[in-house]
Amino acid sequence: MTTRTDDAEDERLAAQAQTGDRQAFTLLVRRYQERVFRFILRMSGARDEAMDLTQETFMKAYQALPAWRPEARFGTWLFQIARNVTLDLLRRRRTVEFIPLDTGLPDGAALDPQDAAPLPEEQLADKQRIQLLERALCELPVEQREILLLRELENMSYADIAAMLNIEAGTVKSRLARARVAVLAHYRHHAGEK
Amino acid sequence: MTAHAPDMATLSAYLDGELGISERRQLDAHLATCRPCALQLAALQALAADFAKLPQENLGFDLAGVIEGRLAVAPRPRGKPRTARWWGLLPVSLGAAASIALGVGMGSALFGGAAVTPRVTAMSVFDTLPPGGLCLGAESCYGKGARK
Repeated sequence: MTTRTDDAEDERLAAQAQTGDRQAFTLLVRRYQERVFRFILRMSGARDEAMDLTQETFMKAYQALPAWRPEARFGTWLFQIARNVTLDLLRRRRTVEFIPLDTGLPDGAALDPQDAAPLPEEQLADKQRIQLLERALCELPVEQREILLLRELENMSYADIAAMLNIEAGTVKSRLARARVAVLAHYRHHAGEK
Repeated sequence: MTAHAPDMATLSAYLDGELGISERRQLDAHLATCRPCALQLAALQALAADFAKLPQENLGFDLAGVIEGRLAVAPRPRGKPRTARWWGLLPVSLGAAASIALGVGMGSALFGGAAVTPRVTAMSVFDTLPPGGLCLGAESCYGKGARK
């Protein structure tokens, strides 16, 4: 989550980078690299591609920097670029709308031998829910997946999400609710509930 | 209260702290008495807690260092050239129109308004004599009548 202080620092660094200060831009990269990578990874489901796209995102941001204005929060602007490069990849893969559930767990989500070791019941239930959530995220349509990630992991406000996705705040509210309902339905389906 | 389907959009916005004060108070009061809505809200809260527990994948290296190297050889970004608006071209077009009008006016003044047709000089492309003035033959230079 970003604070006002973070935003002010971003703004200062971005303004410096606009004047050609590469060091300032490097500092911005350092501030955002992990978050951008995680967002792209969750969107694309492939680690190597996510690493490449994270790099591409920052290079594109650098080239587009003269167009950035302080009225737009730097983080939101950067995530917009990250989203665009990821959607380009998904379009190329032609998997924008749906990834079949039966393709298995996403990279890194498979049970390792350690998982077979007995765990306290609650911990096991937690782990299963997390795995279900990861599978559900892969299964969701891209527009629902991205909005969930922006809200739940990036803690963006509805106004920021609306600005980033270029939709109304009311649409953010309804789309987010639909996405949450879809994940809950996925939980229930796998728990054998109706 | 009559049975109803929970309004997931409102519950979801409540969870995110995106409701107005009065709407939030109204829902607080409703949740205290409506079990289906309270259960749905609890499910949404559990989902949010699950998101917080998702494994935090890391890049595993400092990308900033890589980017720094790439920026050193990358061209410095330039602002997009401004797209020309029609009114931006106004001074140019006005100037051009004024120049043409001035030219026409001066021409009219010089020639008294009468149209002057330029004299066309007939050009002889091929001469009967080849270059160097050499005769093609005696007959072409000296007519039969000339030889006596």
